[in-house]
Amino acid sequence: MIVALLAPLLLGACGTPAAPESPSTSGTAVAEIKAAQDYNDTDVMFLQMFVHHQRQGLQMTAAAVGRAQDPELRTLAEAVRATEQDELKMIEGWLRGWGKPTEVDTAPNLHADHGGLPGTGPAEIESLTTVADAEFDTAFLSLFLAHQHNAMELANLVKDGGRNADTMAFGERVRASRQGEIQQMLRLMSK
Amino acid sequence: MRRRISYPLVALGMIASSLAVPSPAQAHGYVSNPPSRQALCAAGTVRDCGPIQFEPQSVEAPKGSQRCDGGVAQWSVLSDESRNWPARNVGNSVTFTWVMTARHRTADWQYFIDGTRIATFDGGNAQPDATVSHTIDLGRFPGRQRLLAVWNIGDTPMAFYNCVDLNVGGGGAVPTTRPTTAPPTTAPPVTPTTAPPAAPTTAPPVAGPPPPVAGDSWAAGVSYRTGDVVTYQGKRFQCRQGHTSINSWEPSIFTLALWLPL
Repeated sequence: MIVALLAPLLLGACGTPAAPESPSTSGTAVAEIKAAQDYNDTDVMFLQMFVHHQRQGLQMTAAAVGRAQDPELRTLAEAVRATEQDELKMIEGWLRGWGKPTEVDTAPNLHADHGGLPGTGPAEIESLTTVADAEFDTAFLSLFLAHQHNAMELANLVKDGGRNADTMAFGERVRASRQGEIQQMLRLMSK
Repeated sequence: MRRRISYPLVALGMIASSLAVPSPAQAHGYVSNPPSRQALCAAGTVRDCGPIQFEPQSVEAPKGSQRCDGGVAQWSVLSDESRNWPARNVGNSVTFTWVMTARHRTADWQYFIDGTRIATFDGGNAQPDATVSHTIDLGRFPGRQRLLAVWNIGDTPMAFYNCVDLNVGGGGAVPTTRPTTAPPTTAPPVTPTTAPPAAPTTAPPVAGPPPPVAGDSWAAGVSYRTGDVVTYQGKRFQCRQGHTSINSWEPSIFTLALWLPL
C-alpha cells in the first residue's frame, strides 16, 4: 500500500524538469505562457483535474466535428476544440513548470460522496461514436452541456481556494467561456 | 453542505485521505429540451434570474415537492409566475431531454401537470444512460401548461425539480412563443383551454447572430467567419476559426486559436 502510494510521488519528483521561469508572452504560442511560481495545492489539484477534464472534452468535440448534423453545432465544436487544445497545452506547461505530474491516477469525481458518477465517463464518450446520426446532436449536446457545467464547478475550486494569479485568472476565463458556450448549446438544443 | 471530492491526493504529496471543499449548492441535472425554466435562465433567454443562470442543474430538494423551485428559497425565481416564462409550442407527443452533470442511481422520473402525475419512468435504481429522454403524450392537456418534471434519486432522499412551460397542440414547428401581453403579476398565466392553432404570439429573437462589419470592433454575440478582421484595443486581428463570439473569446494571447494578430 505504501509503495503504491509513493509511486506517483516518485514519478512526479523524477518527472519533467521545471521549465524556465521567465514570464513570456511573445504572442506566438499559448504554450509559451508561463504561470508564476507562487501556488498552493488547490492550484495544482485544479489544474490536474482540469487536464483530465480537457482530454475528455477534446475526445467529445472531435466526435462532434466529425458527426454533428447541424452546421452551427459543428462550427461551435471546432471553435471549442481549438481553444481547449491551447488551454490544455498551457496548463500542462504550468504543471510541468512547477514540477508536478500532469496525470492523475484516478478520474476526479466531484460527486463521490453521494454515489454519483461524474457526468462524463468512458462509456458516455464512447456512446458518441455509436449513436445514430439522427440522434447525434442531441446526444452530444446533452453530454457536452454537462461537461461544461462541470468545468464551471471545477473552476469554482480555484476561485475559492487558489493562490496563483495565473491559475485563478484562467479559472475566471473558464467560467466565462463555458457559460457562453452553454448559452449557445442550449439555444442549439431547443432550436 | 460540504461536498467531498475524490482525488488522488498522493499526486499532491498530501497525507489526508480526502479533501473537503465547501460548496454552496449541489448540482446534478435539469431538463434542457423543451427548455425548463432554469434552462431558459442559463441560456440567457430569460434574464435577471440570479445565480440559477450559472447552475441550472442545482434545483435539488427533498422528494415530494410540487414546486418549480423545489421549495428552495435560493431558486425562488423559478416559481415566480410574474416572470412571463415563454412557453414552447409543442405537438401532442413531447420528448423531454435531460442534462446530467452526475449520474446518480435513479428511483424514477415523474411528470406532473396541476399536481396530477401523468407519467412515470422507472430508473431501476441504476445509473442512467448517457442521454436520458422521455416521450409523453400530452394530448389530454391542450393549451398552455406548466409541467413539473422530477428526477427522484435512488440512494438519497433528494430529487431535482424542473418546470417546463408548454403550449400543447400549438404546433411543434415554431420554436418558442412569448405572450404579447404581460400576464397579471398576481395570478399565474391564464391557461387557454384550446391552443390557438395559427396564433404564435410573437416571434422571439431566435435568428442567428448578426454578421460582422469588416474592420469593426470585436463584440460578443457576433458570428465571425474565417478571414474576418476586427479591431480590439487598438489592434487588428483576423479570425482563423469561425465561431460565434462570447465573453473571454475576445482577441488575446489566450485566444490565438481564434484570432491572429495582424
